[in-house]
Amino acid sequence: MATKRVAICAVAQHKNEPDLWYKRFQNMLLDVLEDLQGQTGFKYGENGVGIIVSASDDFFDARTISNNGVTDVIGGQYLAEEKMAQEGLNAIGYANAIILSGHKDLVLIMGHCKESQGESRNMITNCGFDPFYGRATGLDYLNAAGLQAQAYMRKSGLTDDQLAEIVVRSRQWAARNPYANAQEVVPAGKVKASPMLCDPIRQLHAYPVSDGAVGLLLASEERAREFTDNPVWITGFANCMDAFFFGDRDLTSNFALKKATANACRRAGIQDLKKAADVAEVMDCYAYQQPMWMEGLGFCGDGEGGRFIAEGGPGKYRVNLSGGTLAGNPMIISGLYRAAEATLQLQGGAGDRQVPDAKCAVAHSTNGPAGQFHSVLILEA
Amino acid sequence: MAEFFGTTVADIFNTMPKRFKPEASKGVDVVIGYDCGGEGGGKWKLTVKDQAARIETVEGDLGPCTATIIASDAETFIGVTLQKIGAIDALSQGKMKVIGDTRMLMTLLPQIFVQYTVPAKKTEVTARGILSAIGERFRPDKAAGVTLKYGYDLTGEGGGQFTITIANGTCTLKEGLDADLAVKMTMEAATYVGMMTGTIDGAAAFTSGKVRIDGDMMAAAATGKYFDKYVDPNAEEAEELLSLKKITSINQRFATGPVMGKWFAGLREKKLLASVCPVCRRTLILPQEICQFCHVRTKEYVELGPEGYVTNFDLVYFASPDPLSGEVRDTPYACAWIMLEGATPEDAFAFEIKKEDLPKLKIGSRVRPTWAEKPTGSFRDILYFEIID
Repeated sequence: MATKRVAICAVAQHKNEPDLWYKRFQNMLLDVLEDLQGQTGFKYGENGVGIIVSASDDFFDARTISNNGVTDVIGGQYLAEEKMAQEGLNAIGYANAIILSGHKDLVLIMGHCKESQGESRNMITNCGFDPFYGRATGLDYLNAAGLQAQAYMRKSGLTDDQLAEIVVRSRQWAARNPYANAQEVVPAGKVKASPMLCDPIRQLHAYPVSDGAVGLLLASEERAREFTDNPVWITGFANCMDAFFFGDRDLTSNFALKKATANACRRAGIQDLKKAADVAEVMDCYAYQQPMWMEGLGFCGDGEGGRFIAEGGPGKYRVNLSGGTLAGNPMIISGLYRAAEATLQLQGGAGDRQVPDAKCAVAHSTNGPAGQFHSVLILEA
Repeated sequence: MAEFFGTTVADIFNTMPKRFKPEASKGVDVVIGYDCGGEGGGKWKLTVKDQAARIETVEGDLGPCTATIIASDAETFIGVTLQKIGAIDALSQGKMKVIGDTRMLMTLLPQIFVQYTVPAKKTEVTARGILSAIGERFRPDKAAGVTLKYGYDLTGEGGGQFTITIANGTCTLKEGLDADLAVKMTMEAATYVGMMTGTIDGAAAFTSGKVRIDGDMMAAAATGKYFDKYVDPNAEEAEELLSLKKITSINQRFATGPVMGKWFAGLREKKLLASVCPVCRRTLILPQEICQFCHVRTKEYVELGPEGYVTNFDLVYFASPDPLSGEVRDTPYACAWIMLEGATPEDAFAFEIKKEDLPKLKIGSRVRPTWAEKPTGSFRDILYFEIID
């Protein structure tokens, strides 16, 4: 029988590292899996986990059907296993649908990515464009972001000083997050003096190359308490896609994110997300994206990202207390890290980053050049 | 002679001297053998030396060659030559085989020969033919308000006299030359055909005296614009759809991790290591992080073999070339399932069998690995397994 609610029972994160040269991603996943099994005691098979949703990327893994390399390790032998090739947060959306439909009542999600394996992240994201035009033009996610940053900073009045402030704050929180990659606290001067990668994006405005893995156990309402005393409920999930061809998009409109937010909020019965959410985790690969995505999520008005930062919006709304993607997650599973952190906050397990009595959290992710595709997950304690 | 894609294997070789580019073959000294099987096939030998190319047909043995290209049938050979069949596909399907340096051939041949094209089956184009269909090319919109009568006096083979009248948005053609022409153009019929098909430049033909214009020069120059351009039926069809050839290559550095790392370290000492499941005692080769049946980490290692016996094998007749180096392994090769001494049932190790041993390979054959002289911790440390009974 179909359940009414789906819970995230437990999360496990591999510490993000710049270069896990001594581990295969199979080793990383195994560490995460054992952590999750230790927390929940879940088993595979009859009455246990019967379906696994993995999340990984063929280009980053440099193999086709990237899940085939890890199914044994994540327990897929003789069980159902399906791969989310879209950004990892959608694995939660998919698992949520599996459980709500009554197909299965327990789903394991396992995501991995080793960005350090390939010679260049930009060469990989260049392949995200069509081979005739986009690739030939030299587009990749970094310089696509550069174009968006230019347009957005003109529109919102966001300044280089504010970009530095966003990075400084990210590192301060990352220092308290045992799973973050870049935990070194940096002064604003160092951010502003860091080399220009793609005007206006400086090296320290960009998320560091990261290796990581995340696991989550999801269960129906009826079974959640077998695995946890603190279930966190999925109350809203939605995603929205913008045009593939870069030139067809208004880069500052946040159209896809606004639509995904509206749909997720409607599902969760939330009128005003900024009033409802105690914590927000957004996928900010580049510093300018944090205020821009907060606009899209409705935490400030259109084009008001500069003012949002000036008025201390990130602190007021408890944005990215994990350090965010700016402190380093693999891009393709960044949404799973956002969801894991949001879950910890709602379970009261966020350590030095804990927001007292957090009841509602929003986790956001994006994929495709300059925020082509957005996903929004709303969780409640 | 068997024809594929509109041509024959023989024509490809017969046109080689004409397609040869001596200036691009400086220092090239090769003998390339061609062996094309099936109907319409045969053997040819190409010798390139001192910036000259010699092609000869060969009966029997091709003799010593720098490289030999073997095609299973004429269709494959012609298809690959015309790029209608991908060379890589043909190689990997075993329809084509190269003895020698594939990459050298792939680079050298396009360098020293003009690409072969299928000879056109020509439609006869005549001045009379072009003129009789002139009404179909007439553009009333371009000739609005124009009244013009002009004539062609075409001499030589296929010649004739013609009068063209443009008036009231229509165009008519009649034989013979009227007296009241605005302009008359006199030339050989072949010159007219050349100008219409684009092989002769009209202005140059006039200045060189091949065309004589009597009457209104401006009217003569304007005649072209009242008609759509004549399309030569023999002209090569324009290629409308292009494909983009590109190798997508991003350097990778694959971690071996603590478990696979042990395997490679073992190879360096000529040892075949398996990891052991602590629950069911399976020997996992290659070593794996976990036993996927018992969902437990493997921790111990055990050396298997080196001898074993074959429980299954297949012979592989195609080999995919390495896209970057062009290297292709010899075919056929055997991929054999080997139960190494000490391995638990079902945990086989797959590897190649020594080429010379293939005729005696059977289920149950006892085998042992042959190692590289200086193992470095790579898969190439095992050259192959040889049969020992």
